[in-house]
Amino acid sequence: MKNWPWAILAPALLFVLIGLFAPLIMTHDPGAQDYGALLTGPSGAHWLGTDYLGRDMFSRIVGGARTSLVAMAFVLLAALAIGVVIGSFAGYVGGKTELVMISVIDIVLALPSLIIALALMGVFSGDNFTWMSDYWKMIVALTMAWWANYARMSRAVVVAELQQPYIEAARVMGASHLWIFTRHILPHVLGLVVVYASADAGALVLAIATLSFLGLGVAPPTPEWGQMLVDGMSYIEEYPSLVVIPGLALTAVVVSFNLLGEAFALQKVPRAVRGRFLTRKKVARAAEESARKEVEA
Amino acid sequence: MTDRESRGGPAIQATGLKVHFQTAAGLVRAVDGVDLTVARGAFHGIVGESGCGKTTLARALIGLQSATAGQVNILGRDRAEWARADRKGFARAVQFIFQDPLGSMSRRQTVGQTLEEPLQIHGQGDRAARRGRVAELLDLVALPATVLDRLPRSLSGGQRQRVSIARALALSPQVLICDEPLSALDVSVRAQIVNLFARLQAQLGLTIVIVAHDLAIVREVCSAVTVMYLGRVAEEGAAKPLFDDPAHPYSQALLSAVPSPDPRIEAARPRILLEGDPPSPRNPPPGCRFSTRCPVVEPRCRETEPALRTVQHGGAAACHLADARDHAMI
Repeated sequence: MKNWPWAILAPALLFVLIGLFAPLIMTHDPGAQDYGALLTGPSGAHWLGTDYLGRDMFSRIVGGARTSLVAMAFVLLAALAIGVVIGSFAGYVGGKTELVMISVIDIVLALPSLIIALALMGVFSGDNFTWMSDYWKMIVALTMAWWANYARMSRAVVVAELQQPYIEAARVMGASHLWIFTRHILPHVLGLVVVYASADAGALVLAIATLSFLGLGVAPPTPEWGQMLVDGMSYIEEYPSLVVIPGLALTAVVVSFNLLGEAFALQKVPRAVRGRFLTRKKVARAAEESARKEVEA
Repeated sequence: MTDRESRGGPAIQATGLKVHFQTAAGLVRAVDGVDLTVARGAFHGIVGESGCGKTTLARALIGLQSATAGQVNILGRDRAEWARADRKGFARAVQFIFQDPLGSMSRRQTVGQTLEEPLQIHGQGDRAARRGRVAELLDLVALPATVLDRLPRSLSGGQRQRVSIARALALSPQVLICDEPLSALDVSVRAQIVNLFARLQAQLGLTIVIVAHDLAIVREVCSAVTVMYLGRVAEEGAAKPLFDDPAHPYSQALLSAVPSPDPRIEAARPRILLEGDPPSPRNPPPGCRFSTRCPVVEPRCRETEPALRTVQHGGAAACHLADARDHAMI
């Protein structure tokens, strides 16, 4: 990671830090309504103004960052765990089991994940699911819409890694399947999947906002960017800042995670090229040197 | 494991071993009925040209390749049953060395981790004891301790093969099966590794089976040789007499390809060039498998397949024209 563009981490890191320390950063209670200051512009008391209920926009944006971060982390971790387990199992076991599992994964992948999440939210709205809060319904729905990509990637890595001769060597040494998987295969799987997840985080923040925007995700008192967008919609002509501010926040997060993913991806590809390029240069330089010495001699 | 000719019985005994592959183009008979006996403490070479099934045979001996038919006994115990009932015990008794040392090691693990892994798998010793054993192993294969923290890709070819040998020796096996351990190395390094094998065998009393291309090396170090042709044993016997007077026309041709270091012998050395390529193992010829290329072929060779019979040098050859007193010369 010597030549890694560390600066690219900054925007995503900023989002994570804001989310983690939201209670310390917020200047007001994001739920507190101030009827004396409805729909005001930026001021010393309210850095980004107030919304139609007199709530402090800055605190709501910061609180929204935390809501997004926490929900995103839940979904990402759960989707990653489920995806890695299912995908690795399919890849390791092979045969008909793998075929069946891969078909299921492909079917899930064929449908847009947001559509799956919406359909599941519909199912969860039934009487059988009253024990789950809307928040957890959203988390579960998004997880079930999101795992398939990780499963497919994990399987691909496992299958590729299993063909390596060193796996055979480990078997000759008497290693159990569990040993081979945890010691040799899992690190490769996690290496790839975590990189992909870093780019995926932005898309997930957007999906959470989308569900909340549609009224299916985070319930109103909790500050949430998608929710803020809906609330601001009715005032878009007179007070566009109510929509623009959460919109910009969302855009910034999506872009920052995309940049992060891009940096990882770019780092992965050209390293070999760079290495080879350097050796070629080195060889050329050595040849030049020896030629010069010969001439001198 | 220290006394070389202990407890009688061969180290490896394969009977009627067959490995067939079903491919799109038909059934490939890579190994087609091989009987092989490797004595305890022997340095047994398996030679033959590319595609004759020697690698498949080596892999089938240790179970990396499941056999279509036949049985393998290692140290007097049925291999399949042993590996199933006691995977780790089997691994401690029999080890395998791969052709490509780089591929056979995890590219993420340092040499130290690679060498420690078999000890960890078998729960041998604590951290300090394992470290000590790893140091011992490095000594055994004459590698400096400085390689411990390096990754396999930053080692030279010879060092990599030394590491893979050290790893195979970590569990103190009695039998070592090597699949062309020398082909990935250049000639100067080959000699070092061969000497290492010979030294280890003398030092540890190992039984070593080595699949090799390089006949000169087999002649130099092996005590017994099996010559394979098209999935079958063409000739077998003790190395010296077999190399001096091969009875099977194929062995004669194969061994005539070995260069001699002595320029006088080299100048006078007869060279036998065989016509054509070996037939496809998908569809071996009727009768003797070598009949399509044999310079001294007779009509009966094309009809009935010769069984292995005792020949002059004391080993056995699968040739109609060979018997205990005489054999064909080409």
